[in-house]
Amino acid sequence: MSELTLLVLRLALLILMWFFVFVVVYALRSDLFGQRARKLPATAGASFPAAAAVAAPLAPAPVAAAATAPIGSRTPQPDATTPRRLVITSGPREGMEIDLPPEQLTIGRSSESGLIIRDDYTSTHHARLMLWNDQWVVQDLDSTNGTFLAGSRVMLPTPVPPGTPVTIGTTSFELRR
Amino acid sequence: MAVIDAGPRSTFTGTIRVRLRTPARRRNLELFLLLGALVLAGGAMVLVELGALGRVGGTLLVLEGGLAVLVLLGHVAERVVAPDADPFVFPIAVLLNGVGIAEISRIDIAKGLGGWEAAGVRQIVWTGIALIVAFAALVLIRNHRVLQRYRYIAMFSAIVLLLLPVLPGIGRTISGARVWIAIGPFSFQPGELAKIALAIFFAGYLVTARDSLSMVGRTFLGMRFPRVRDLGPILVIWVLAMAVIVFQHDLGTALLYFGLFLVMLYVATGRLSWVIIGLLLFGCGAYIAGRSLNYVAGRFGSWLDAFNPAVYEKSGGSYQLVQGLFGLANGGLVGTGLGQGRPDIVPLAESDYIVASLGEELGLVGLFALLALYLLFVSRGFRIGFTGQDDFGRLLGVGLSFVVALQVFIVIGGVTRVIPLTGLTTPFLAAGGSSLVANWIIVALLLRLSDSVRNQPHWVVDTAPIPVMASSSDPSAAPAGGAS
Repeated sequence: MSELTLLVLRLALLILMWFFVFVVVYALRSDLFGQRARKLPATAGASFPAAAAVAAPLAPAPVAAAATAPIGSRTPQPDATTPRRLVITSGPREGMEIDLPPEQLTIGRSSESGLIIRDDYTSTHHARLMLWNDQWVVQDLDSTNGTFLAGSRVMLPTPVPPGTPVTIGTTSFELRR
Repeated sequence: MAVIDAGPRSTFTGTIRVRLRTPARRRNLELFLLLGALVLAGGAMVLVELGALGRVGGTLLVLEGGLAVLVLLGHVAERVVAPDADPFVFPIAVLLNGVGIAEISRIDIAKGLGGWEAAGVRQIVWTGIALIVAFAALVLIRNHRVLQRYRYIAMFSAIVLLLLPVLPGIGRTISGARVWIAIGPFSFQPGELAKIALAIFFAGYLVTARDSLSMVGRTFLGMRFPRVRDLGPILVIWVLAMAVIVFQHDLGTALLYFGLFLVMLYVATGRLSWVIIGLLLFGCGAYIAGRSLNYVAGRFGSWLDAFNPAVYEKSGGSYQLVQGLFGLANGGLVGTGLGQGRPDIVPLAESDYIVASLGEELGLVGLFALLALYLLFVSRGFRIGFTGQDDFGRLLGVGLSFVVALQVFIVIGGVTRVIPLTGLTTPFLAAGGSSLVANWIIVALLLRLSDSVRNQPHWVVDTAPIPVMASSSDPSAAPAGGAS
């Protein structure tokens, strides 16, 4: 084995070690700069007011119809306008952002909840957000202190328009695209 | 993460839903990095043999191949038991461990050791054992919160582990420090495992006690100082650290435990006053120890006055330290090349002085690559702690990764004469079974912690769009359940 080959090999080892380091750093970059922004279709902005208007009359009163009503009475929103993020707007974790899971997010003090809120006002299984016909609906799971959508207590599964505050205990959040 | 949403909460819809597993992008990234790490570790070994012997081959490469198989098996097991774990921690540990094995084997070659006598062979076997123990831990501990329940058991086992070397019969004194136990041909350093037990205990204890430690007290000089009665825990840990210095003659371990407690206390309470109190306490203790204990004074003497010929020649003087520095200087920027330096001149070149050996043969460039790997490892650990859901997990993540960081600082700082030299092992690199097992358990715990933050949806590394499932918009399923 010639001197030159050894020299090349040992320099190659050093370069590869640094290469490994930089591959890790490159893979880590989403930690620093956040996830790459998703491209939304051009219609996303236009349909925003429509979604808010649809949600203005809240859930219908009759209990028997409660479950069917949110599905039957609303036109399904196109996929791209469905909120994908939950942003905590006030409370201890203010500013935290969560990517909404595919179909439901449970909220409560229990550690198996999707969003765990630990304060004195939250019940173990407090509420849940469900995706019905591409629309997020909040349901109160008989919590002691209640779930509030834009200030009024949620009694029945109620659609959550984007940007409307939902309050649970000392935490408020809203859904955003 | 197949989460079955059954039970009382699903009575509304009456259906059992299985959330689909997200694509295993993280695991594929880990596999890619693991293969890279294994290739690099194997390459280092080949270079050692080429440089020192001029030929390749022999049993060492076969043994390393066995380890590589074990690593890949571990990766497969991880796909099952911790599919959402952090993809960086495991490959980084594999690479550090592999480079360590190569350098230890290189010193064996220089010393003419072979077979079971060779530290490199033993290191490979210990790595295998450590990997198996780590994955057993990953399989057994399915939920890290269970550990919180055993915090007092962790405390007692830490104390027992610390006391074991002092016991007559099984305790051994090796190069001045009584931190070893020997049973038959096996020797073990129980203090390495004690650091994990202590991290578990500190995390469990501070979760319950931090309110009283952080909320009350009076403000002085812009800082809130604790009440006298809340000083109990820190004094207990201080006494423990001082006992380690006095009875076991081990400065590094004492500094490690005390630093661990201090940082976890700071993270739990967010109050700088604890750090100041702790540093003052430790400074006083170290000063008194330096005045009254000969070996501590000797360490300080050979640190401050290393190049004085009298100190250099003295038994237990600065010979090792200075030879290590000469080795680093001989390495220069790109090193002498693996297998081509003379790292074996330094005493304990394969364990305490592995950093000087690597610095000689890989040079400043290689040493900084290793430091960058440690930096990434620790930053992942902090990140895991930061994103944890429960306070216990967060404290444990921070504690476990900080203990690695502090140990690296104490060892490399000692070797490079930044701080007085203390006998600790460099995590993953240095020869020593107990250290390997302990650090691989730390890897397993970090993997477990990072896997359990998967439900925290903001913890998303992959950028794949979230699939919207059709079953949720099935109109017939929801009303049926709602009526019941």
